[in-house]
Amino acid sequence: MIAPFRRMLVGLAAGLCPVPSLTAQLATPRSVPATYAITNARLVPVSSPAIEKGTIVVRDGLIAAIGANVAIPGDARVIDGSGLTVYPGLIDAFGALGVPAASGQPAGGGGRGGGAAAAGGPAATSARGANSNYPVGLQPEVSVVELLRADDDAFSGPTSVGITTALSGTGNGIFQGQSAIINLAGTDANAMVVKAPVAQHIGFTPLRTGGYPNSLMGVFAALRQQFLDAQHYRDVKAAYERNPRGMTRPERDPSLEALLPALARTQPVVMIASTQREIERALDLAKEFGLRAIIAGGSEAPAVAARLKAENVPVLLSLNFPRRAASASADADPEPLRVLRERAEAPKVAAKLAQAGVKFAFQSGGLSTWTDVTGNAQKAIENGLAADVALRAFTLQSAEILGVSDRLGSLEVGKIANLAVTRGDLLDRGRVTQLFIDGRPVAVRLPTVGANAGAPGLTGTWTVTVSLDGSDYATTWSLRQEGTRLLGSIQGSLGPIEIQNGSIGADNELRFSATITLKEGTEEATFIGTLDGNAVRGRLAIVGHTPGTFAGTRPQRAGAPGGGPPAGNTPRTPPGAR
Amino acid sequence: MNRIFSLATVVTLAAGSLGAQAQPVAAGAGATLIKNATVLTVTKGTLKNADVLIQNGKIAQVGANIAAPAGATVIDATGKYLMPGIIDPHTHMMSDAINEGSLSVTSMVRIQDILNPTAVNIYRALAGGVTSINILHGSANTIGGQNATVKLKWGESVATMMFPGAPPGIKFALGENVTRKNQNQIIVVGQPTPPRRYPISRMGQEQVLQDAFTRARDYKATLDDYKARVAKGEKNLVAPRRDLELEPLVEVMEGKRLVHAHGYRSDEMLMLLNVAEEFGFKIQTLQHGLEGYKIASEIAKHGAGLSSFADSWSYKIEAYDAIPYNVAILMRRGVNTTINSDSDERVRRLNIDAAKLVRYGGLTEDEALATITINGAQQLGVADKVGSIEVGKDADLGLWNNHPLSVYAAVDKTFIEGKVFFDRQQDLVMRDQKAKERAELEKAEASASTRRGVQPVLPQEER
Repeated sequence: MIAPFRRMLVGLAAGLCPVPSLTAQLATPRSVPATYAITNARLVPVSSPAIEKGTIVVRDGLIAAIGANVAIPGDARVIDGSGLTVYPGLIDAFGALGVPAASGQPAGGGGRGGGAAAAGGPAATSARGANSNYPVGLQPEVSVVELLRADDDAFSGPTSVGITTALSGTGNGIFQGQSAIINLAGTDANAMVVKAPVAQHIGFTPLRTGGYPNSLMGVFAALRQQFLDAQHYRDVKAAYERNPRGMTRPERDPSLEALLPALARTQPVVMIASTQREIERALDLAKEFGLRAIIAGGSEAPAVAARLKAENVPVLLSLNFPRRAASASADADPEPLRVLRERAEAPKVAAKLAQAGVKFAFQSGGLSTWTDVTGNAQKAIENGLAADVALRAFTLQSAEILGVSDRLGSLEVGKIANLAVTRGDLLDRGRVTQLFIDGRPVAVRLPTVGANAGAPGLTGTWTVTVSLDGSDYATTWSLRQEGTRLLGSIQGSLGPIEIQNGSIGADNELRFSATITLKEGTEEATFIGTLDGNAVRGRLAIVGHTPGTFAGTRPQRAGAPGGGPPAGNTPRTPPGAR
Repeated sequence: MNRIFSLATVVTLAAGSLGAQAQPVAAGAGATLIKNATVLTVTKGTLKNADVLIQNGKIAQVGANIAAPAGATVIDATGKYLMPGIIDPHTHMMSDAINEGSLSVTSMVRIQDILNPTAVNIYRALAGGVTSINILHGSANTIGGQNATVKLKWGESVATMMFPGAPPGIKFALGENVTRKNQNQIIVVGQPTPPRRYPISRMGQEQVLQDAFTRARDYKATLDDYKARVAKGEKNLVAPRRDLELEPLVEVMEGKRLVHAHGYRSDEMLMLLNVAEEFGFKIQTLQHGLEGYKIASEIAKHGAGLSSFADSWSYKIEAYDAIPYNVAILMRRGVNTTINSDSDERVRRLNIDAAKLVRYGGLTEDEALATITINGAQQLGVADKVGSIEVGKDADLGLWNNHPLSVYAAVDKTFIEGKVFFDRQQDLVMRDQKAKERAELEKAEASASTRRGVQPVLPQEER
């Protein structure tokens, strides 16, 4: 019985197609007992020092035993782990894995999407609170478990690099609803759920419907009013429960009801914030309402490190490091120094947080190339982060921050048997040969480098002509898309200026505002358009002006080695441009 | 063209380091003595060959031959001009959003929530001698958001930049912008087209104001009733729902929040003054008010100030009746009048806008300077702290190399509370530092390891 199975796993380890009988094995219902023993392997429990040569026993989905001298149960299927290392499965501390990309919804809040969005396609379901008094995007009662779908295609990317578990949120709206921690295997969405709800999520991107709030300051006012209303709702309800006679029955409000755990600090609130000022604003809001904040993003978190530490706020640090996009056109302004600094700084952030004593965990941050997720963690190590701290930030620390360290995050007896078995160091170019999720082997597909990288979205440098009040303005847009969030700047005739409140919807509709410089002064313009491959076009609205239009292209990005600015052939400048 | 480009870039670069790296240069741990300047006090005339002593962030002494205290930084200002820091009563600088235009009344939104303390325009404004600004919500709706009065302490946090003790304010808006006539209907494929936002006329704007303040009056009654019942000792009361939309309007009616109202035409401004009087509150300033000269006596009688452009005549339909003499006429009729920039670009040369008033309307130099200093301080309710060079006031000062009403004038140093936040010599040094940092970063990036992850995309030749 043992021998043929070993052959199968060896075949799997060698990267061959799984033989049919393994497929049958994988389809076995979870309730069927299964025992495995990985012997002669290097074991990295994370919670305790590594065991250079030992055995780990997995039974009924849990870790049954671990140590240098562990008796192998008679019913165990034995896997020879010589030359292999066993780690706890990595935890992606924030993403939208298992959540199908919803259509017709306000996008927002911070660059989620990742593999699930790319592979899942438009979903039939939309996150909508059934009887809410609030518009979509301000419904904290929405729970991601209602949306989850088992999605082997979407999970093959993260599992190929050793990620077995993820925190998934809807990633849409301002109050984004309640997230769940899921294991990335299974044919049944409910069976994937490790814990739900985990946290309330808040994004600070305005609603895209045009309704209130459609600006960043409106977002803060709406958040503040809804939290105040929840406090009032709580007090009125309590008064009614104390003495209902003679008091009008308070009306049930599912949205306000859903905020009570956050206000009572029994549920943490994940706030999407990357820059220093975004983090400070999030912390201010958390302070105002006594919330247990967790910051997600955190690219400038070192600048706020003292406050994060003092207020005991952990960071779900995005590994979606900024990259140099396609080169600008020949006569474009040089990249701002700030952008250069951002790129140089990104791999150093984790080490700085560790040094400052800020608790952090790694998250994929919407990266669709999963080898980059672990690759960027390795870059953080190369930039001063201790390797064990990095691993911890991907496992046990992640579980601690998310409140599941009693069941996940380390190789300890009684914990869920999520294991990543590798040849070589997991983060440093090691290869995941086997994966166990809930104690069952999961097929590892070899990493498909750049499988999703063919769709850069809006990221890149665009040459855009803006037509307004009878004049054409030649501009260069440097954009970066992080999930549904859009960042960047406008250079040239109307700038230079950073874009604000940028987002892109599932229907490729982009939207942002920018304070542009016209002859008579600065004006706030709202840009709305559509992305079509390497072309964008749309309209812009400015108070006091007739509507304008814009159209632009992104020079093809196929890399030709050699570097240097392109010679000659400056981009066509439209007639009438300054 | 290229030359202009690179010059602009260098200015941007230099600005970076003051904020991000080097803290603003502290002008002496204790005190600073500016010696032998022409001191334009604005409120107390011009003093030639005068000294100004700064201690603890305040103006400690103004006069001739002041002895430098031990350890003080001494600045020889021979041939230079010292004036109060310029105050811009209307700007949208530092804002990560300008309008919450979704509703007709958005008094619940706060500019303070979305300020960007790293906006490079702060540095550029400092280079124009500006030290305090009033950051207003946009003019998309009748009742807009709450303003922020800010000192331009470049490199510091929003919390420390907020002007301490400045009374809160709110933006109102009248006229064309509010009607959204020129606002394109945003049509998104597959989504229903939203209806146009009410109101689309000036009549509607009056009604929005009356409605909002009627609701605020009712809300205040609810609050007062609750307070009275608590005072009477009633038990088990639940406090009324806090309404963030109406709270600021109650504050307006109680005189605790200043109204800054955007408008151009005399009829709409008169309408606003009438509505305010009907509900028993005061309009602090009329913003723009290019037809203010037509109703100067009425504005003076109400007690409102007015903040205008020095020019921008006929730049839009509501500005067709604007005249260059607006500010002078209003001032002569006793209206507190200022010049504002409403622009991240014009804010750098408000001194020139003030100079235009000497040419158009014959204001004295002090009167012209007052429109960008003490008058603005009065409009923002901070005249006890800034706006003139007087002992006891904050040491918010601009040291100019020429008379600030001259086109040849440029700022050497800008002080806020005695600290130097812009220094022309320092700026030149920083340009070199920035260039060096850029070169190093570019070099490091070019040789960075690309063992893992996606290869950076290299430029290719255009076809």
